[in-house]
Amino acid sequence: MANKDVMIEKLRSMLGDDAVCVDDKYGAGVVSAATAPAAKLVEALGVFKDTGFYLETMTALDFQDTQEIVYHLNCFEPMSRMSLRVLVGHGVSVPTASGVFTAADWLEREVREFYGIQFEGHPDPRNLLLPEDADYHPLKKDFGKVHAYRTRDEIYG
Amino acid sequence: MGNTDGSDWVRLIVGLVIVLAFSQLNALFLVWLERKVAGHIQLRPGPKEVGPFGILQTIADGIKLVGKELISPAAADRKLFPIAPILVFMPVLVGFLVLPFSPDLIIRDMNVGVLLIFAFSTFSVLAILAGGWASNNKYALLGAVRSVAQNVAYEIPLLLAVLSVVLMVNSLQFSHIVEAQNRFWFIFVQPVAGIIYLICATAETNRAPFDIPEAESELVAGFHTEYSGMRFGLFFLAEYTNMFIVCAVATSLFFGGWNGPFGFDLNIPGVVWFLVKTYILIFIIMWVRWTFPRLRFDQLMNFSWKVMIPLSLANLMLTALVVKFV
Amino acid sequence: MRSMADQFREPIVERVYTLNLGPQHPSTHGVLRVLLDLDGEFIVKADPVIGYGHRGHEKMGENRTYKQFLPNASRMDYLSGLLYNHGFVLAVEKFAGIEVPERAKYIRTVCAELNRISSHLLWFGTYVMDLGGFTPFLYAFDDREHILDILDRVSGSRLTYSYCRFGGVCQDVDAQFVDTTRSFLKRFRSRYHDYDNLVTKNVIFIHRTRGVGVITVDQARQFGVTGPNLRACGIPYDMRKIEPYEIYDRFDFEIPIGTKGDALDRYRVRLEEMEQSCRIIEQALDRMPGGPFWNEAATFKVRPPKGEIYFGFESARGQTGYYLVSDGTPYPYRCHIRVPSYGNLHVLTEVLRGTMMADAISILGSIDVVIPEIDR
Repeated sequence: MANKDVMIEKLRSMLGDDAVCVDDKYGAGVVSAATAPAAKLVEALGVFKDTGFYLETMTALDFQDTQEIVYHLNCFEPMSRMSLRVLVGHGVSVPTASGVFTAADWLEREVREFYGIQFEGHPDPRNLLLPEDADYHPLKKDFGKVHAYRTRDEIYG
Repeated sequence: MGNTDGSDWVRLIVGLVIVLAFSQLNALFLVWLERKVAGHIQLRPGPKEVGPFGILQTIADGIKLVGKELISPAAADRKLFPIAPILVFMPVLVGFLVLPFSPDLIIRDMNVGVLLIFAFSTFSVLAILAGGWASNNKYALLGAVRSVAQNVAYEIPLLLAVLSVVLMVNSLQFSHIVEAQNRFWFIFVQPVAGIIYLICATAETNRAPFDIPEAESELVAGFHTEYSGMRFGLFFLAEYTNMFIVCAVATSLFFGGWNGPFGFDLNIPGVVWFLVKTYILIFIIMWVRWTFPRLRFDQLMNFSWKVMIPLSLANLMLTALVVKFV
Repeated sequence: MRSMADQFREPIVERVYTLNLGPQHPSTHGVLRVLLDLDGEFIVKADPVIGYGHRGHEKMGENRTYKQFLPNASRMDYLSGLLYNHGFVLAVEKFAGIEVPERAKYIRTVCAELNRISSHLLWFGTYVMDLGGFTPFLYAFDDREHILDILDRVSGSRLTYSYCRFGGVCQDVDAQFVDTTRSFLKRFRSRYHDYDNLVTKNVIFIHRTRGVGVITVDQARQFGVTGPNLRACGIPYDMRKIEPYEIYDRFDFEIPIGTKGDALDRYRVRLEEMEQSCRIIEQALDRMPGGPFWNEAATFKVRPPKGEIYFGFESARGQTGYYLVSDGTPYPYRCHIRVPSYGNLHVLTEVLRGTMMADAISILGSIDVVIPEIDR
């Protein structure tokens, strides 16, 4: 069985069937997208790591009503990218994943400095790309020039 | 001091003036040669605008260097920092006093000529250390420390190789050594010592592949990071003059000095033979620089202590046995 | 008032000193600052400091239409600019469902592979120059000039390209392009032997790179290392074969892999990749069909449907990904770019520990990072 199928099984059993949607046609570039609550985030990532996945990238989205963190994970087999999404409200903090994937160390630093999302337990929360004394969060939709500020349902509804 | 009289003093002073002039001209020429050689190896022409074939390029660069501001870092050692470049240059000039350009063109044919040159070349190591330390810069200090370690390590096989030749001729005087080569050059009798000498000479003058102390891509500019203007120019000149001296010594010890091949002079004056051979050796050193990448520092030290020194020791012992029993 | 003897008897506690491999340094490629804690010659801790080139591309992505963002794509990794341009165009085409004529696909593949070769050539020249061999740099740039001339003639730019457009390419190629490319391939293959003899078989070079900077597969997985660095560890992971995009599944080429993951393997993998790119170019030139080269009508208003897409492709340094979130308007809601140099640089914090200063330069060069793409 391919890694991705094993992973989908495990995710379904951990998060429930309706939190995982599968798209074998790879329309959006991922074979499955899963939503996890913040409490189960580190556990889910640990399962990914044990199944042989690596953390490709991590980014965040800023909406009017909430913020969302998206993790993209992939493994060394064809067509196996999966995404894991966590909804966090403005100002809510999330446990750090740098204990599971060391790549998350820098990725979380970047998300923190651009979106203001705090990661609990992060070993080194300095700014990565912005100057050390920057106290603004540029990619939030209330900073600088913004074209559109929408709610999550307008896009994913 | 016994035999010094008026004519000796005149000879000394005239010789010093000629040496100063010659070393400057030589450095000028070598810088131009280096850039041309580098250019042609790299599929480009090198300097060609300033003067015919770019000969005057070095003079233009020299004028530029003289005109630059002499910047000293604020925390540099007040006394050592300006003195270090001068200290590097002076001992190199002393070497010219005993070089055997031709039978009657030696300024002072001392009976410890070989010893003199190598004793004074060690001074430049001190000067490099002084320069690196006085700069108050970690890169410069790293470069200086590496330079000292490298120089010390490669002096030993250098001297052992030279000793093999001295043992054969039984004299430290340059004219005796050159005269002993009027039939066969010593490179054919002592090939191992010759090659060891050339490798160690490249290391002594901090030329690639042994140029870690001034490794551009690693230490910015090594021990002369903080030097600007003519101070940097002095380090630069000292390196090229040192290269000339080292190759001139190689010519005298291994390649026959002022003698032609197999004793045939072909009516060409000795000094021309000497200079031609020296400049061919310099060209080879330059050729090597632009061909090989750099050795890592510990590989460099390993090469010296574990390969060069045993080899040169073995060579010396073999020479001693042959000289004693043959 | 302590005596001299007392001073000498004090143990030296602080052996570790901090050296700044500063933002201005001849061999950090781009503006990178690495804070090194050194114990003599050995590195105890390496901490890269980046962000000197942050230009806010992702914020720009949210304030520009897809068409307006097209030039930005090249400028992130300017050495493989056409590959990034190609990737962005492919991502948006897949998102918005834009059809591309066959001829355009072949043209784009040829140009993308030429760009890959030129990026690897630049890496080759600068890597050997960092190690002290100044000459191969000029040979590599001589070859690179030929590629740049070919691409300049067809696209108008030498370094940052906007040649690939949504729906095709903006200008057709003519017979001279095909001829010049073929003659370049012939010349380049003969030069390949020169590179082998001058560098690959050079004893000093082998000593500087063998066993240096080994990245294990586990480290690669932990840090998200992709591209030739990962392939040197033995994993045949190349997006052109794993998730074939454009027409790469029609060509016959191999993925070179290494065995040990040291700098020498990374060097060999990249050299082999150049040869494989030549194969792809040849096959594409042989099979290029006629026909239209730009589906311009379909791109009048590029308005992808609501939703998101992640498009991953193989750039010269590894796997690059465009993550686009659309709200139905011509402006993206989020434009995130996953860059390979991110993980490649991050893995150095572990790999550099315990190595020597001179090796640090060799490892940094062999990883092939371009800092502006990390900084975006």
